[in-house]
Amino acid sequence: MVAAFLASTPLLSESWSLCCRATATQTFAVSRAGDVSYVAFSGVQAVDVLDPGCGNLVAVDGGVFPGLLRHGEAEEKAEEPVMVHSGMLHLFHSMFKYTDFESQMFEIMKESKSVVFTGHSIGGTIASLSTLWLLSYLQSISSPLSVLCITFGSPLLSNESLSKSILQERWGGHFWHVVAKHDIVPRLLLAPLSPLTPQLHALLQYWHLSMTSPQLPVMGQDFYSLAQRAALRQDIVVQLPDEEKNRLFLFVLACVEASAKAGRSGGSSFFWPFGNYVFCTNEGAVCVDDGVAVVKLMHLMLATGNASSSIEDHLKYEDYVGKVSMQFLKRRGFVEGEIFESSYEAGVTLALQSSEIASHEPVSGPARDCLRTAIRMGRAPNLNSANLAIALSKITPLRAQIEWYKASCDQSDDQMGYYDTFKLRGASKRDAKVNMNRIKLAQFWDGLIRMLETNQLPHDFLKREKWVNASQFYKLLVEPLDIADYYRLRGMHRDKGHYLTHGRERRYEIFDRWWRNRKVGEEENTKRNRYASLTQDSCFWARVEEAREWIENVRSESDTRKLAMLWENIDKFEQYARKIVERKEVSKDVLAENSSYSLWLKELSELKSQLQQFPPRFPRFFEGEIVP
Amino acid sequence: MFGGGLGESIKMREELMKEACYLSLRAHTSAGKPYLSKKIRGSSETVFSFPGPWTVDGWFSGKPFGQRKIELNLFPSLRSIGNDEKAAVNEAFYGRFEAILKTTAFANEVKKAVTEKKQIIFTGHSSGGPIAILATLWREKWDIYFIHFVTRYDIVPRLMLAPLSSIERELQPVLHFFNPKSQFFGLESITTAPDASTFFMNVMRNVSAVTSHAACHLMGSTNSLLETVTSFIDLSPYRPFGTFVFCTGNGKLVVVKNPDAVLQLLFYSSQLTSEADIRDVACRCLKEHLGYENELQESLKMQNVAYLDDHLNETPLSSSGSVQGELATINTALNDLGLSTRGRLCLRAAGELQKQKQRNQDKIDFNKKEIAEKLESIRKYKTDRDVRKVGYYDAFKLQNDPEDFQANVKRLEVVGMWDEIIEMLKRYALPDEFEGREEWIKLGTEFRRLMEPLDIANYYRHQKNDDTGPYLIKARPKRYRFTQRWREHAKRIAQGSSSESCFWATVEELRNSDKPFEELKDTIMDLERDIDRWAQHEEIGKDVFLDESTFAKWWKKLPSQHKKGSCLGKYMSN
Repeated sequence: MVAAFLASTPLLSESWSLCCRATATQTFAVSRAGDVSYVAFSGVQAVDVLDPGCGNLVAVDGGVFPGLLRHGEAEEKAEEPVMVHSGMLHLFHSMFKYTDFESQMFEIMKESKSVVFTGHSIGGTIASLSTLWLLSYLQSISSPLSVLCITFGSPLLSNESLSKSILQERWGGHFWHVVAKHDIVPRLLLAPLSPLTPQLHALLQYWHLSMTSPQLPVMGQDFYSLAQRAALRQDIVVQLPDEEKNRLFLFVLACVEASAKAGRSGGSSFFWPFGNYVFCTNEGAVCVDDGVAVVKLMHLMLATGNASSSIEDHLKYEDYVGKVSMQFLKRRGFVEGEIFESSYEAGVTLALQSSEIASHEPVSGPARDCLRTAIRMGRAPNLNSANLAIALSKITPLRAQIEWYKASCDQSDDQMGYYDTFKLRGASKRDAKVNMNRIKLAQFWDGLIRMLETNQLPHDFLKREKWVNASQFYKLLVEPLDIADYYRLRGMHRDKGHYLTHGRERRYEIFDRWWRNRKVGEEENTKRNRYASLTQDSCFWARVEEAREWIENVRSESDTRKLAMLWENIDKFEQYARKIVERKEVSKDVLAENSSYSLWLKELSELKSQLQQFPPRFPRFFEGEIVP
Repeated sequence: MFGGGLGESIKMREELMKEACYLSLRAHTSAGKPYLSKKIRGSSETVFSFPGPWTVDGWFSGKPFGQRKIELNLFPSLRSIGNDEKAAVNEAFYGRFEAILKTTAFANEVKKAVTEKKQIIFTGHSSGGPIAILATLWREKWDIYFIHFVTRYDIVPRLMLAPLSSIERELQPVLHFFNPKSQFFGLESITTAPDASTFFMNVMRNVSAVTSHAACHLMGSTNSLLETVTSFIDLSPYRPFGTFVFCTGNGKLVVVKNPDAVLQLLFYSSQLTSEADIRDVACRCLKEHLGYENELQESLKMQNVAYLDDHLNETPLSSSGSVQGELATINTALNDLGLSTRGRLCLRAAGELQKQKQRNQDKIDFNKKEIAEKLESIRKYKTDRDVRKVGYYDAFKLQNDPEDFQANVKRLEVVGMWDEIIEMLKRYALPDEFEGREEWIKLGTEFRRLMEPLDIANYYRHQKNDDTGPYLIKARPKRYRFTQRWREHAKRIAQGSSSESCFWATVEELRNSDKPFEELKDTIMDLERDIDRWAQHEEIGKDVFLDESTFAKWWKKLPSQHKKGSCLGKYMSN
């Protein structure tokens, strides 16, 4: 159904006709239609990057794609780096450097409400990179410009980490890769190509000549007859004997099959698809957005082809685009006599029909399974979101109990605040309950993040203030308890290191980001008259814990350089803490008489007076002069 | 509804249908009259019929689809209540109707017919139809049957689903073809020209975009590309409503009310069997627009009618499926409309959605008792606090006693149940009439008056105003916004006039403000007037005026000059 919708929009044919123009120019072409600007990149580039010689994956740099990298950094260090094809990246960089691409883009951003990047073949990868670049840039200036990338027969660009990053950024919906059913190019990089360098050279040459030679219809003008064109191509193909073509085809088919079976890429140095794939056939189109399903369909559809169709399909987008954009006219999906178990099964059958895989073919069974999963996955999000809203209202009372706990600690005679009370908790029923609530809340939010990242929630989910606010209040209230638990009985941090660098749960980092990226109204920055109800820096207590350790170390440290470092840290924290207390951004439990923070201050002043009694060796630290 | 004549089923005399059809066509040819009216002899009906405009700008004005938001003072009901979304209508047709209303005796004539206890029928063919619809909406508000007859290929009911830009070149000749006063009226050569095919294709491409987009939503697809692409293209805002009677072309009739299903039928019934049919179908898409009179007479004679609504979710999926009874009738009718399996799946999805909405409503109705019980326990909490001379608003804000905490847990439970309802309304996942149901409006008002003060107390207790801004602007939950609109809509009172449940937030903001009295005076006067009114109608409790209440303490600090003249003096102890 999605494919039917996409096909009845004018975007597809508009993009394709500009692609043809761009290929004629060999760089890029720009056109405008109303509020939408189209930028198309040539399928023929000066450097032949599909040549196995320049096909390595390299890590992306933060200069051009900050959006992708920032995410990489926030991840645990063990996470695989985001990598893209070095040759394609190089092409993008040189276009950026040597053409007026950037200035044209700024012109477009001023005048248009939306931009479509598009490209055929290798041009498609440059379109993808340009889209990534623009999305990163727009994110940094919070612009409402819409961006869409439509590629035709584009080779793969990047590894699985990139596809994960894109899911996490929720950028998947900006990429629309059109793939002809047998086209070998989008599948090519799933195979290690170096053993087949000569065959590939010949093919690339053939494609380039076919794309650039004037006998191809440019902008719908067809000067040569079909027969003449076929004859011209035949001349070029002669260079590659049929058995060689076949070898290449079978090799790629086997590699794609292996990837499809594995259901994931082989590691950070292997290519993997991202975004939405629309497979086009003579019978219609199917849209799939899950990487595994994409690779599976890549395999199953290629398996119904042969060497020559896999090569020719790369040049047949004109036909496919024409067919797909006219498919709405004709009544399709008449399945005579078949009785369906359910609407769902009927939907699967129709999708199978659109993929032009006949029911007697051996791949039709696996294809059916693959489409079944894809269709089921496409339906869940709205329901999930509604269920989550209900789940949230069910767990909110747990949060209220923790609020109540905090309030009662504030009033208690211990004057410890809820952080220290929880840290030193005994075996009381109340403490156990609070701990239980803490764990249940964590489970809820972790589950929510998991659903979000596996695309099981609607796309505008994070635009709903309710969730951003709820996660923030949860973080401010409960993270101190997580920190307390971490430092409880002086356990975990001895083995693993401090909370901030080694213990902080990923969910809190994600919530930080939601909160930062939310829409901010004008009346921010109002001055507080009273202490905040919750300390606005949810990691405050973790900083206190580190500061406590510094003081301990000062007492035992003899190395003067290390000592200087320690004092510098202590100084910095002290200033920071004073500042947020002054601004009343802390809750009153921080200032409770026996809180860790109050005790730390006491300790610090004791330490200082001791050092004054026994004159310190480095008095200058007290004047706040810091020696690096 | 199986069997029985069409007239009986859709509650309209068949004689009247024929008469209306005749008059709607006559209106086009009666020189210069903005409308015709006719009393039907020997019965109590008066028919008003409207001619249509035949120029492109009589159909499309300005925007790609020529729509505008409706004027709520003429059509107060045409919005989604809770979501507060105004309906959109075609601007050119709307303007035409407004002109009839303002410059002719139309309004008076209708009034006269009403006082004479006549039944009134508004009718129109082609672009006269929308005028008749607007007249009906204006006269009878939302509460009447609309009946639209549509032949299988007639292009006009689909036309507004395409933007003007896509058909600009071909539209005027087509309108000439439809215009009885034009020299091109009904001219055969127009229907066979290549332009006719282009016209048909361009309209259908856009109809396909709208209906497949709607179908994706019906089927619950949340593909991410769908969202992005939607912002790149203009999708028509128009949607069908009322009862549709599709004429299959061989004397059968198909009746559908479900608007989602109607939209899908508008597309799937006009698809081609093979590419070669395009000229033939393009020709029919124009000709059928002029063939209603015959078609209707034929069909009424045959009385072969299929009613889809009750069976949408079990629509037979393949044309040759072996089904019995009523489903067999439906299957034959769908075959006559040429519906593919894909189209049938869309009908099923529309039916499934409707069923789902009904199930959602049943589930929520089931919760009603529990909500009422929980509200009762909060009410008890309120009475207890009143006895202690600290209103429940202040007690809750202080949270000194375990009872206050218990009340907080109860509050969270109740609001959770309401959020579930609101979440559904936001997704339009409940039947459209839900927001007009008296029992829910009543319960919603009770809930709002009792609970919102606690939400506000909680908000200001935790100083969330420092973090996120004033409650009323930044944080007022939709559960209260919606329920307030329900009541205001049901009672036909101004928007905002029933905000008695959130005046505490205004008080808190005034209390926290460091502006001088003079600057706040207007706001304070307004608030006092409102509170006085609400107190008189017992829409707010007496606890507001207790000595220790936040409100009383704040009010007593106002300048004495002001207090002397205030309308609230009578409620306050000295």
